[in-house]
Amino acid sequence: MNKVAIVGTGQTKFSKEDDDVEKLLFESANNCLQSINNCDLNDINGVLISTNNDSKYLGAILSETMGIRPKISHSIEHLCSSGTNAIISAYAYISSGLSDMILVSGAESATNPGQVLEWDKSRGTLEHPIYWGSMLTKSHKRNFQTTEEELAIVSAKNHKQAMDNPFAYSNEPRTISEVMNSKQITDDLRILDCSRSCSGSSSILLASEEKAKTLSDQPIWITGIGQKTTSASFTKNVLGEIESTRIAADSAYKMAKIEPKNINVAEVHDAFSVCELMAISELGITSNEKSGEFVRNLFNTENKMINPRGGLIGAGHPLGATGISQTIEITNQLQGKSDKRQISNANTGLIHNMSAAGTSSSIMVLQN
Amino acid sequence: MFFEEQLKNGVFQICYCRNCNNAIWPPKEICHICNNKVDWKKSINFGKILEFSKKESKYFGLIEIDDGIRILGDIISTCTPKVGQLVRMEVSFNSKPHYSFFIVENN
Repeated sequence: MNKVAIVGTGQTKFSKEDDDVEKLLFESANNCLQSINNCDLNDINGVLISTNNDSKYLGAILSETMGIRPKISHSIEHLCSSGTNAIISAYAYISSGLSDMILVSGAESATNPGQVLEWDKSRGTLEHPIYWGSMLTKSHKRNFQTTEEELAIVSAKNHKQAMDNPFAYSNEPRTISEVMNSKQITDDLRILDCSRSCSGSSSILLASEEKAKTLSDQPIWITGIGQKTTSASFTKNVLGEIESTRIAADSAYKMAKIEPKNINVAEVHDAFSVCELMAISELGITSNEKSGEFVRNLFNTENKMINPRGGLIGAGHPLGATGISQTIEITNQLQGKSDKRQISNANTGLIHNMSAAGTSSSIMVLQN
Repeated sequence: MFFEEQLKNGVFQICYCRNCNNAIWPPKEICHICNNKVDWKKSINFGKILEFSKKESKYFGLIEIDDGIRILGDIISTCTPKVGQLVRMEVSFNSKPHYSFFIVENN
């Protein structure tokens, strides 16, 4: 397989303003190509779109508006992990030799109803994510004695880290006390425990090793990939576990020939506060029992190794763009370009992106 | 679909493979294990609470009925439910399935 590198990135600011998905895609794609000095549009032979939006033929539309005439262009939808699935698809095209340079662009508009999975009859009328979020939270508290304060620290930490992310939806600091006293959505979820749907777009340019060397003096390599779908129905999950993450992480670590202790920085899918605790446990960074203490220690020592851009809770969650923005953050970290968010000596980073209560997970390992 | 039509009549039907007797949930008419057709059988309408929470004044939870079939639904109770508690199910359908669970007394 050919090596694949990230050579360019671009984003829009995440916001609550409704916006056309076509316009958002163009803006981040344009920012992405502007980030590269000598990119010839004729060399881009793939354009992949990640979104849950109902608009059709977006691969061709973005190509036309950017002045690109690619060999390959199509959309990829996989709920909240559409972004990493699009990047991994681009990786497969390039590593197989079918393409040597692909633009991956993801976007969502704030009013898109994509977060509800209507097919899942096992959820009845309780189809909004807050219901499964409540079940996971209650179960974590019950099984691992996780406290309300430990859950609130996840949100306070990620809001604080988002303040240094110019593309984040929220730039407001939130104290632990503010999180704990925020509006109660259910007995087990407060409003500040929840990531928010919003508008936003992010784009990334992937290239083969040969092309990457001509386009970037700091290419970031995708060295590990793991994906797993265990079901579509949340109700088939074992409460207290995200099996798909555990399996996908194992695959990604084997491919990259690393262990969890080698990870310097990670973006994890904190759809709700509890998801960050569960993710870092399933990724092998800590254990479920110690996850609350682990995050408290990060917060107290201002260690930003988990979700330095603010995660989904702080940065916002435009479904189709989220996985790409997570990947951009790790890319910038490994290039030493994360300004106030920078983790020192970051050489290995991880992206964890999941869908529908963790019934599906995608994981990538990046190295510089 | 048969499943939804039956919900409108207050009946929760489960499909079982004619050949391997696997319970298939969410319902579909061909078994994915052995590719045989299914037969429908009424639920016993009793299950147990696996987990629960509360939104405003209403409890909801993850319930397991029959042969390991798991459902999110409302728990109708004025007292705090308990994990493992026995519940009786009532169902309806109005553009979406609706599942309600009533705590069986003295359990």
